[in-house]
Amino acid sequence: ECGHVSVSAPIVHLGDPITASCIIKQNCSHLDLEPQILWRLGAELQPGGRQQRLSDGTQQSTITLPHLNHTRAFLSCCLNWGNSLQILDQVELRAGYPPAIPRNLSCLMNLTTSSLICQWEPGPETHLPTSFTLKSFKSRGNCQTQGDSILDCVPEDGQSHCSIPRRHLLLYQNMGIWVQAENALGTSMSPQLCLQPMDVVKLEPPMLRTMDPSPEAAPPQAGCLQLCWEPWQPALHINQKCELRHKPQSGEASWALVGPLPLEALRYELCGLLPATAYTLQIRCIRWPLPGHWSNWSPSLELRTTER
Amino acid sequence: TPLDPASSLPQSFLLKCLEQVRKIQGDGAALQEKLCATYKLCHPEELVLLRHSLGIPWAPLSSCPSQALQLTGCLSQLHSGLFLYQGLLQALEGISPELGPTLDTLQLDIADFATTIWQQMEDLGMAPALQPTQGAMPAFTSAFQRRAGGVLVASHLQRFLELAYRVLRHLAQS
Repeated sequence: ECGHVSVSAPIVHLGDPITASCIIKQNCSHLDLEPQILWRLGAELQPGGRQQRLSDGTQQSTITLPHLNHTRAFLSCCLNWGNSLQILDQVELRAGYPPAIPRNLSCLMNLTTSSLICQWEPGPETHLPTSFTLKSFKSRGNCQTQGDSILDCVPEDGQSHCSIPRRHLLLYQNMGIWVQAENALGTSMSPQLCLQPMDVVKLEPPMLRTMDPSPEAAPPQAGCLQLCWEPWQPALHINQKCELRHKPQSGEASWALVGPLPLEALRYELCGLLPATAYTLQIRCIRWPLPGHWSNWSPSLELRTTER
Repeated sequence: TPLDPASSLPQSFLLKCLEQVRKIQGDGAALQEKLCATYKLCHPEELVLLRHSLGIPWAPLSSCPSQALQLTGCLSQLHSGLFLYQGLLQALEGISPELGPTLDTLQLDIADFATTIWQQMEDLGMAPALQPTQGAMPAFTSAFQRRAGGVLVASHLQRFLELAYRVLRHLAQS
């Protein structure tokens, strides 16, 4: 090995100086006695190398790049040999920023996958390989005291969400959760959340249906609609309240809200509507009286009121 | 003399417990349905002799009748019962690949509920110094015994939960 490059730090803050040194051994054959060492950053030669001959005969050149403004570049130690530039060694330089504090950490308990899904905003680009880890622990009180740690949740590359599986969760106990971001230039941590997984449950809405025509049932009155809804099965064990919204399909009317409504209705008559009008209806539910998040609105159901 | 039960238990605790019982009842029913559909083991009454030979223990809730509810004793029996069922379900492990996930969910939910009860007992200063330790569990020595044991444990559990649900609902409504 003829030449060897070493650097003060292969990764620096963007714009910071970086110092490198290249040593060319005396026994590197075919060379002049005192070869002139050249530096190349990317494809550009860099002036300012300070060369000296060491006691053991090796040649050493040191260069300081005052501001490394490339997020990624290769610094080569070269010399002229005959009429050609010869590269003897090369080092990869990286520059970027330490991770910002991850923001807006939030979590939802998903009953379909039985997992706690947390997401966050990673913050500005660091230009460096940056790892995010969702950390959490069980807690007796309100997360001031740390109980058993829960296995770190490592998101897939580039993702800003992670799922903690059911087997690591105590659904009805507090847990402290935060995100840690780390790269070569530093570590940062989001503010800590303290929550019980079931208190951030987000349900799926019930399924709205039209009433099957039945001889026993009276037909809907004018300006009324008859409908029913079936609860979302994985949440049957959860007390919920629901609300319905409706609006005429045509025109600019805004949604009208009806609620609170029960989780399940085998038959529901909605009145006070315009006769002979097509309506769009949606329903959503929330865990209640215990805390939770509103489900999304259900897919729309389109019904038409009868003539007067 | 029994404490005035309702006043010392937070409503959110009771509502959570009711929710957890309903969840476990659903899990238990799923296990029973699969045992019935897959192995035609649908009726615990057909397994009385086996139950005696296996020696599957019961979980009493004798301190919980609403007329003379003894809160400390009732919560303690509720926790001990859940702890027993955790042990019994653990003894059923390897019951069959099809039932594995259902059994895992049931175990996790029971363990969660037991933790909810235990921590409330601690908050009220009623919890014994040491967590209970699991007694001897029946030895299910064959695949059939594990499946039949599953039917028996699930039906015991449903009865235990039904009792617990009535007590908790009584406390929540009083």
